[in-house]
Amino acid sequence: MPAHHNKLFEEARIEQAAYITRRLFFKDSLLGLGGMALGSLLGSCSNPSAPLGIIERDPIHPLLPRAPHFAPRAKSVIYLHMAGAPSQLELFDYKPDLMKLDGQSCPPSLLQGKKFAFIRGVPTMLGPQAKFAQRGQSGAWISEHLPHFADVADEVSFLKAVQTDQFNHGPAQMLMHTGSARAGRPSIGAWATYGLGSENNNLPGFVVLTSGGRFPDAGKSVWGSGFLPSVYQGVQCRSEGDPVLFLQDPAGISRDLRKASIEAINQSNAATYATFQDPETISRMAQYELAFRMQMSVPDVMNIQDEPAYIHELYGSDPAKPSLANNILLARKLVEKGVRFVQLYDWGWDTHGTSEDGAIDYGLINKCKTMDKPVAALLLDLKQRGLLEETLVVWGGEFGRTPMQENRDGKQNPFKGRDHHTEAFTMWMAGGGIQRGTSYGETDEIGYSAVSGKTSTYDIQATMLHQLGFDHERFTYPFQGRSFRLTDVHGKVIQDIIA
Amino acid sequence: MLLPAIKKKYLLLIVLLLLIASAWYFSDTPVDYNADIKPLLNKKCITCHGGVKKQGGFSLLFQEEAFAAAKSGKKAIVPYHPEESEMIRRLSLTDPEERMPYQHEALTPTEISLLKRWIKQGAPWGKHWAYVPVKAPQIPVINRWYSPGNGSRWAQKPIDLYIWQSLQSQNLSPSPTADKATLLRRASLDLTGMPPPENLVNQFLSNKQPLEFPTLIDSLLASPHYGEKWSSVWMDLARYADTKGYERDDRRSIWRYRDWLIQSFNNNKPYNVFITEQLAGDLLPNPSTDQLIATAFHRNTLTNDEGGTDNEEFRTAAVIDRVNTTWEALMGTTFACVQCHSHPYDPFKHEEYYQFLAFFNNTRDEDTYAEYPLLREFHGVDSIRFETVQSFLQKNAPQKERAIRFFLTTGQPTINSIAADQLINSALTDTKWLVMRNNSEARLPNSPFSNHTQLIFNYKTWKPGGKLQLRADASNGPLLTSLPLANTGGKWMLLQVDIPSLAGNHDCYLQFNNAATRDPLETGIQFDWFFFTDPFPGKGMPGYDSAYTYYRQLMQPTSVTYTPIMVENPEEFKRKTYVFERGNWLVKGKQVEPNIPAYLGKLPSGEMRNRLALARWITSENNPLTARAIVNRIWEQFFGKGLVETLEDLGTQGAQPSHPELLDYLAWQLVHSYRWDLKKLMREILLSATYQQNSAATQETLAKDPNNKWYARGPRIRLSAEQVRDQALCVSSQLNTKMFGPGVFPYQPEGVWMSPYNGASWKMNQDGDQYRRSVYTYWKRSSPYPSLINFDGPTHEVCTARRIRTNTPLQSLTTLNDSAYVDLCRAFAFSITHQSNTSVATTIQTAYQKILYKPIQPPIQQAMEKLYQQSLAYYQKNPEKILLITAQHPTHQQASDAAWIVVINALMNLDEVLTKN
Repeated sequence: MPAHHNKLFEEARIEQAAYITRRLFFKDSLLGLGGMALGSLLGSCSNPSAPLGIIERDPIHPLLPRAPHFAPRAKSVIYLHMAGAPSQLELFDYKPDLMKLDGQSCPPSLLQGKKFAFIRGVPTMLGPQAKFAQRGQSGAWISEHLPHFADVADEVSFLKAVQTDQFNHGPAQMLMHTGSARAGRPSIGAWATYGLGSENNNLPGFVVLTSGGRFPDAGKSVWGSGFLPSVYQGVQCRSEGDPVLFLQDPAGISRDLRKASIEAINQSNAATYATFQDPETISRMAQYELAFRMQMSVPDVMNIQDEPAYIHELYGSDPAKPSLANNILLARKLVEKGVRFVQLYDWGWDTHGTSEDGAIDYGLINKCKTMDKPVAALLLDLKQRGLLEETLVVWGGEFGRTPMQENRDGKQNPFKGRDHHTEAFTMWMAGGGIQRGTSYGETDEIGYSAVSGKTSTYDIQATMLHQLGFDHERFTYPFQGRSFRLTDVHGKVIQDIIA
Repeated sequence: MLLPAIKKKYLLLIVLLLLIASAWYFSDTPVDYNADIKPLLNKKCITCHGGVKKQGGFSLLFQEEAFAAAKSGKKAIVPYHPEESEMIRRLSLTDPEERMPYQHEALTPTEISLLKRWIKQGAPWGKHWAYVPVKAPQIPVINRWYSPGNGSRWAQKPIDLYIWQSLQSQNLSPSPTADKATLLRRASLDLTGMPPPENLVNQFLSNKQPLEFPTLIDSLLASPHYGEKWSSVWMDLARYADTKGYERDDRRSIWRYRDWLIQSFNNNKPYNVFITEQLAGDLLPNPSTDQLIATAFHRNTLTNDEGGTDNEEFRTAAVIDRVNTTWEALMGTTFACVQCHSHPYDPFKHEEYYQFLAFFNNTRDEDTYAEYPLLREFHGVDSIRFETVQSFLQKNAPQKERAIRFFLTTGQPTINSIAADQLINSALTDTKWLVMRNNSEARLPNSPFSNHTQLIFNYKTWKPGGKLQLRADASNGPLLTSLPLANTGGKWMLLQVDIPSLAGNHDCYLQFNNAATRDPLETGIQFDWFFFTDPFPGKGMPGYDSAYTYYRQLMQPTSVTYTPIMVENPEEFKRKTYVFERGNWLVKGKQVEPNIPAYLGKLPSGEMRNRLALARWITSENNPLTARAIVNRIWEQFFGKGLVETLEDLGTQGAQPSHPELLDYLAWQLVHSYRWDLKKLMREILLSATYQQNSAATQETLAKDPNNKWYARGPRIRLSAEQVRDQALCVSSQLNTKMFGPGVFPYQPEGVWMSPYNGASWKMNQDGDQYRRSVYTYWKRSSPYPSLINFDGPTHEVCTARRIRTNTPLQSLTTLNDSAYVDLCRAFAFSITHQSNTSVATTIQTAYQKILYKPIQPPIQQAMEKLYQQSLAYYQKNPEKILLITAQHPTHQQASDAAWIVVINALMNLDEVLTKN
């Protein structure tokens, strides 16, 4: 085990032990009241020498940091989900042969026995609507729409033959994030927070940031906690209004007054505790103190105004205007502060060609412009801060797009556009123990089918959990009479991209 | 030192003697399959010999499999003959190649001899406790003569006798009765979900002739708020929401079901009837409107409107959800686990899952955009039209009255246009409707002509000049009709055409052309549904003209409430059900017929196997699960956890009951003594001494029973999401007690709703509806009301049998800062500071008393007085802040007004206030 990994692992263990002896709680206690009472209350807590693999949870502090199954390669995750499904054929999966077929009828072999969301009858083929060039030492083919990303292409491992079995946005996003196309399962961020707890006492462990003007199609279920306790669900941090719902004190109540009222509440609660001896009361006192601290720490971390100008230049962020760039910069700040899982959703990648904004040669280019620079900046910035090594960055949509021009209801769409495609699409991962400058998996000459190195949505999840130190087959939660896992009965760790 | 040594020696000897004696004694005592054998088999054998894996053709999952010959031809278990049983031989071998468990640690001699004894006794196969019907209880008898302490006086009622028995075995004693104020608030929150009304408070706490506790209980049970509270509980099970779910998550009109729940609880509908109507109200003879609305229970499943989604896939998902919800909600058992294959620990077989699914697989709903079938409740002019049509038919065509009424009120049995196939130049647009272009064709397969002579269809066009031809059996089959189509201007219109009478079912070919659609890709016509029927009867009779006009108008009513309901397929639409191999709906296995799992019994022969038969089985006295599940749920509502902690699973994977005899006693009471009367059951529990205990813990009870598993103290649990909000509405005197109707929109921060392809926005009510109880809050699945979610409210996407309570900073932030709560604190503060002469101390006492009905403790009083002085000083120093916190109230503009808001805000956040003591 490389020294670096040992360090991470030890850190987690030590933190866990520290929490178990509740030292941190005493130290951080705003009033010291909670600490006093806790000392007498929790004489015997969970055993720090408990065998690995058994995840013990303190019911009163469900977010205490915990050690995973084995030494993790990543401490935190930034997952950039491009909701609507970007076209791999215009971004990463370069198919010059598809150009030769442009405008020709789709061969029947590609249609027989297949189901598409909107394509009916016989569509025509649509050649790549972007120029490509090989970039970096790895020689990765990168589209002209991603000029900044091209410069950091050597940092990532591409997965070019990802497959899913859902061809509608909602179910496919659900499958990608919760391991099931139906609502009701915990999201990967909830699993990670359940398994690892939170590193920052004053911030949520699982933060969700959305951009593009809409939520992902599957709604809040993609960051829900499913059957896990709701404390593990993603906390949406917003760029307009309260960064976290109800974070701001009511108008006319100052910080000092809020502090005074929490003191009064907790002094009263201490009296209640003296009468009822209910551990929940102690927990509630701690939560009010934490809420008070969060009121400071969340706006602080969410405020990107104080970032230096060169950082804003690098990311293309603008504090005055909500954007994906702002969220990506925020994601960096959040992992820097110890947030475990930062999930970004950027809506608007659905390019059917039914409108100009949804055209592969117009809307898609505009979306790329909002994404290219900040994503490249994120990788560079994490790297220069020494954080890339311990931060897993994942990029992708919920499925890919067809090499055919969409013909909704059997008639040609007014703009250039591609239908949903499940059989092959591109995702990439970087940092957090992932190889640099590689590409795994290949598609056929027109980018229709995966021909080698196929990976599934479950494999992506298994790999992410693996980098966080979990064996996805052993990481379970009992529900409805059986042990559920994120990857259901599927999933293989993609060893070929692990450093 | 000598004495202890001798003692030790004797002790050893005694233990040894005891061991020998017990070995002799126990060699013939019956081995308990559930307690001793099944855990052993599960641990050591079942991974290879049961469920999916049956190594060597041997499985221990079911008795008949275990006793059958394995692949080798030998029988692993020969009852009464351990010496002939191959299993015993293989377990006892030493050769690692042959010895079982293969490549795993050998069983200990004790374990092997236990198995031998079990086989010798005939290898009796036991049943899990929850699958055995409830037996008549034997209420424990306490020998009061020998029983010391307060127990003999305490345990007078059956519930307390059971609890007392287990307390004694744990060496615990019960707590004293809680004070009256606590009991009052506890009972009110438990029965009505909110604080008691003022008149009950005064009567119960009065010094002169106070109301007795049983009378208080009866008053609370009779309150209309009782139904609201228990509907909230049921809506978690029914996954109730005001939207359809999935991507667009558009609105759905199903609030009539919520109102049906409230009315049913308030009318104390017997629980067996309550369930039967929800499962099969439509199949009851001559169902009433209410009975049809009840079936919306299973129309609370999700409908997928996302363009391009396969309707059959999502219909199947909904049917599967109905199966899982039926088990989890009504029988407290998780059946979902055998969806993919049989399991080593469950007595249910994979195939049985689909037999059960077959009960639900024959309903009319097809994941259509409009969510057909919809019940239509006519109002105003439409209800008068409906009455007129009905009376005309009763007089002139009584034999047709029922079918026509059914069609008008349910729109069934129509064929949805998405059933069309063999599409030529036509399409199922957005997978929602059939559209056709110039010179196009589509087929309605297997249409029920059945000698009908009229076809009605719902369609829209955009241009004049369209023509539709209908042919039977083939593209060039006999022409049934040819009709010109008007331009409907993009609006849905109905058309009735006469067709020749054909017997039985035929494929119906639709051919459309319209030369006016010059663009060959332009949509010419869009269809919603088709209905094969007969002309409206009674032509020439008096009143025909108006009745017929009304009949046509009622097909597109204007004053109407729609509710999705269950309607069974008529014979000609009947669906077949298949096993889904490994749970995959596309891989269909063997065809199956409706049935219940054999392990739980048999349906009476000769009865129709439909949802009604199923409901009868679920509510029969012999069903082992139904009564236990509801009793356990009610107990959980009162005590914070069930007698079986896993409300969702009483089965083999669930938790063990803490008080199995008490659970069975209550289940027996519900069915036999109370005839499924839930109010009577609740009354019995609330009148027990167990329920009325003080909830304060002591060092002793905390040490012996940290989780209050044995009930040596009263329940102390955080209020539910709905209760937190409803309590704030009540104590601030802002509650609007209006009942029923569509979901309402209280204050919600901006930007919470952002569903794609859906322009819906949250428009806060300003008419007082914003202050109605939480049960009426509009429930959007993909974005539920934030403050309810923060307090562990589920999303209602699937059945939630148990809310897991958490304690988070987001909860603190909600009740401290949510404008909805601050608004209520303001109203509360202004209401108590009306009398200006009272002292600060008295005002604090009054406010506290108004929430908790008891005198404030001195430390709390002091903390609040201090906060008041701090706040007062702050607002005196910063007068510009007063208007902000008082929201520019015209009369309350003093620094003291502002300071009181801060104090009330703190009071509303006290642990005691957020908790049911």
